[in-house]
Amino acid sequence: MTEVGVESERGRLARLIGLFVLLLLGSCVASAQSVNDQTQAIISALKQNNYSEALQLTQTGLRQSPASPQLWTLRAMAFSGKGDRGEALEAFRHALQSSPNYLPALEGAGQLIYQDRSQKAVPFLEQIVRMRPTDQVAHAMLGSLAFLRGDCTAAVQHFEDGRDQLQSQRSAMLEYASCLAQLHETEKAISVVQSLLNANPNDTEVRRAVAILQLKAEKPGNAIQTLAPLLEAGNVDVSTARLATEAYEANQDTPRAVQILHDAIVRDPTNVDLYVDFANIAFAHQSFQAGVEMLNVGLRAVPRSATLYLARGILYVQLAHYDEAEADFEKAQQIDPQQSFSAVAQGLLASKASGATKESLAELRRKLAKMPNDAFLWSLEASLLTEGSPDPGTPEYSEAMKAAKKAVALNPSLASAYDAQAKLYQAAGSTNASIEQCRNALRYDPKDQTALYRLIMMLRKTDKKDEIPELLKRLAELRQEATRKEAEENRYKLTIEPSTSSVANQSNERN
Amino acid sequence: MVVSQIVTRRSFVLASLYACVNSLSGQAIASRNIKPQAAPPASGKPFNAKFVDVAQAAGLHAPTIYGGIDSKKYIVEANGCGCAFIDYDNDGWMDIFVLCGTRLGGDPPEATNRLYKNNRDGTFTDVTEKAGLRAAGWANGVCVADYNNDGYDDIFCTYFGQNRLYRNNRNGTFTDVTKEAGLLQTEMRWGAGCAFLDYNRDGHLDLFVSNYIRFDFEHAPVPGANSTCNWKGIPVNCGPRGLPTGRHLLYRNNGDGTFTDVTKEAGISAAVESYGMTVVAADFDEDGWTDILVACDSTPSLLFMNNHDGTFREEAVVRGVALSDDGMEQAGMGVGIGDYDLDGHLDLFKTHFSGDTPGFYHNDGKGYFDQVTQTAKIGFETRYTCWGTGICDLDNDGYPDIFVASGSVYPEVERSLPDFPYRTPKLLFRNLGNGTFESVGKLAGPAIPAPHSSRGCAFGDFDNDGDMDILVINMNEPPSLLRNDCDPKPHWIKVKLQGTKSNRSAIGARVVMHHGGKKQAQAVVSQSSYYSCDDSRLHFGLGGATSADIDVYWPSGARENYKAITVDRLVTLREGKGIVANNGWK
Repeated sequence: MTEVGVESERGRLARLIGLFVLLLLGSCVASAQSVNDQTQAIISALKQNNYSEALQLTQTGLRQSPASPQLWTLRAMAFSGKGDRGEALEAFRHALQSSPNYLPALEGAGQLIYQDRSQKAVPFLEQIVRMRPTDQVAHAMLGSLAFLRGDCTAAVQHFEDGRDQLQSQRSAMLEYASCLAQLHETEKAISVVQSLLNANPNDTEVRRAVAILQLKAEKPGNAIQTLAPLLEAGNVDVSTARLATEAYEANQDTPRAVQILHDAIVRDPTNVDLYVDFANIAFAHQSFQAGVEMLNVGLRAVPRSATLYLARGILYVQLAHYDEAEADFEKAQQIDPQQSFSAVAQGLLASKASGATKESLAELRRKLAKMPNDAFLWSLEASLLTEGSPDPGTPEYSEAMKAAKKAVALNPSLASAYDAQAKLYQAAGSTNASIEQCRNALRYDPKDQTALYRLIMMLRKTDKKDEIPELLKRLAELRQEATRKEAEENRYKLTIEPSTSSVANQSNERN
Repeated sequence: MVVSQIVTRRSFVLASLYACVNSLSGQAIASRNIKPQAAPPASGKPFNAKFVDVAQAAGLHAPTIYGGIDSKKYIVEANGCGCAFIDYDNDGWMDIFVLCGTRLGGDPPEATNRLYKNNRDGTFTDVTEKAGLRAAGWANGVCVADYNNDGYDDIFCTYFGQNRLYRNNRNGTFTDVTKEAGLLQTEMRWGAGCAFLDYNRDGHLDLFVSNYIRFDFEHAPVPGANSTCNWKGIPVNCGPRGLPTGRHLLYRNNGDGTFTDVTKEAGISAAVESYGMTVVAADFDEDGWTDILVACDSTPSLLFMNNHDGTFREEAVVRGVALSDDGMEQAGMGVGIGDYDLDGHLDLFKTHFSGDTPGFYHNDGKGYFDQVTQTAKIGFETRYTCWGTGICDLDNDGYPDIFVASGSVYPEVERSLPDFPYRTPKLLFRNLGNGTFESVGKLAGPAIPAPHSSRGCAFGDFDNDGDMDILVINMNEPPSLLRNDCDPKPHWIKVKLQGTKSNRSAIGARVVMHHGGKKQAQAVVSQSSYYSCDDSRLHFGLGGATSADIDVYWPSGARENYKAITVDRLVTLREGKGIVANNGWK
């Protein structure tokens, strides 16, 4: 259950009562009326948690004033206090029927529905902030709901408007940081989560969250420092170990990364993710055989892991051991027919090994028929088809375009699907459309060199050449960065000691 | 869990599947491992050029020694060398100059560059010793031109080691004048491609030399040493990735037989460092000044545009010739230059590593290029590592075709992976006249599919029969001399230029041939293909046309036009004078 705006149930109720009284007094001052005895009695009963009495009193009052929003609201509070959420909601609705802008009812209904994390709370909460733009609780709840539906732009705005409320709300702060990160405001996200960590230095999850964000901000050294207390404590849990591995690897300390991973595998030899992480490092350092050997160890421990077979198959492809790769992909498919990757991997294998793609695409299409909402599969189909440069007007061209559009409709952040569209539009001579897709790709992946290069090539054909020099500069910087990274990856080659099943590193420093 | 939502950590499977789509197949060499385009259906049209390898019969017996035969420990053994057609004695018949390497551990006695004199009867005589051209070493590229404007072509060879300039003494011999010309290098360099060009239009040929890697045996890693020394898991010679890049040089001809290094003042050293290979110097933007293209391996290729003031600006990326159409580096080795679509502009064809498509670039006439590999239907062929190449009309139908020499760099791989043989066939793509090509393979004769590990190739008419033959370097084998027996043979014309105000060789000139409503551009260059130099007589196939008009754009800036030239002959055009007698061609 979210902690945003939470208060315990009683606390929430107390707050509502307070709000109710405030508003009531306000309206009385405005209209020169006085709070009548009946209402006072109901409020008093509520304050004393005499909910049954409060219900009785509201019932009596409603006979005389059946449309009174105050009475219905007080009645809702009483039901809420008794734990009868359904009746409470109904009562709030009655209050709002006669007075749609009645704030206590809006608040009450909003908070009640919010408890289910339901988007149905949004209209109530939005009405509240329209009437009271500084209502931080409502903003915080709206932020959380926006996060849930994936609208980080709205979420961040609301979280900022409800910032004071968030400070002590752990989940909300993490949601806020998550959205900031998704909007590429990583530094801000770090400071949000760091403040949480400062308040709770022993919160392991929060500490890991800080480290993840620091990695995203390409500050692996900072991530390592953040994780240090957890690593020094010993008995490192798997999540921390995996994160530390990533941080050390990003910090170009492959030996330490591998050591941490190795220790984690020893502690938890049936954890598939750890073997896959090793395969990832082996892949990056083009030490494919070492990756295969470690996956062999994993498969002895977890013989029915489709993921491990898939991973090993991919490494076999890199080694041009196509028969072994095919066997592994088949096995992965047999073990877990639902997972989408093996069909894709088989497709890739077929295309790389023999140049034939019909069978591989057929398999991919079959998978897509069963899993039509898998954005990754659509994106991969688009990439595979586009790679063969289909001619505009052909069925392959149309299929590629359809697949790319479907991919981004399901997941707008798939830069490769925009790349595919850009290439297809370029082939069709649609310069402006190609430019648009390049820009889309770069929005989600500013380091997409393919999109950047294609954008330059397309802008050459327009009268908007002013942008080109800056883009060329960006491309040159990205290329330099990639060259540096490659040089670092080539420093190390991974090998497996034949005498033991432990992992050894071979450092190969350049002269 | 919110924490995991903060960053989407792509799983290994996801990341590597994407990487598989774009992965390096040769870890040390850039290759996109791209899915080939679907091969177009055969047109069914006959191809009348037929190639027969007559090297043995012609007397070209000596193998091109180049490093280890069954395995290659260092990359210096793998890249091979170029060759040239050169009429060194001005008798009107193309002689042959074949470079050579050596072996680790010492120079075998047969390891030398070789000059073969054309006997005019289909055979050649080895005149290397007599000509003073015997030299052992790791020779790479050759460029041919008359650098001292005395009427005789000279030779410049690049080496891993000391480059050499051979001045033609006009009596059948050459003298090594490297030192007196100011071209002696004070440090060890790996000279790769070279080009003579008159970059400042003073009538004297300057010299551009690309460099590949800064390499020395003492510090070079060995096969398997690191990830740049493996290919598909097999230990192989390392590089070029992981090794320091070379630095390219521009020398200005002082007009007195000497050269001055003007690399820095010309702006060449400001370019991104790269693994330089073949150099082609031509006027790509048709502004009357020679530009310089450098094909680069696993790094972006370079295009130095002439600023007309003694300096250059490097613009390969924005002009579309630096990278693949996906913005990726490729292993650029050889460059063909020609006009495939007969629009009067110089297009380019660049060769690459196996697993990648060639780079076929259409010039818009202003020096901006678009990749047309896919639209030209050439993207289906990605099996082989390709080197020497040319855009040349081999069947004289008026549409330039594309020829490619191929060969692997890893002889040790085929033992474990027979799908990746060391010796591979040549490729010939015939121009269909509609912007597309088709592979003709053995339709063009038995010499085309014959497997070799080839490198440089040069195009020339060694038997003066009006069609283009091809000389091909084969690693540790004798060269191939592919005689073209084109039958029937449509009309043709050859153009030999002699500069007067321009440099004598007319290097840098552009010729546009108009015939039958078509026009075709060619350039006089001192190097193209892979480290090689073609016959300096520009050959134009004319199809059925019986006369042609010729536009000549001289390097001096002058422009001349010749109308209604009759065909099936060589015309020699002297700048400012017109048609003059041919040397030795009656």
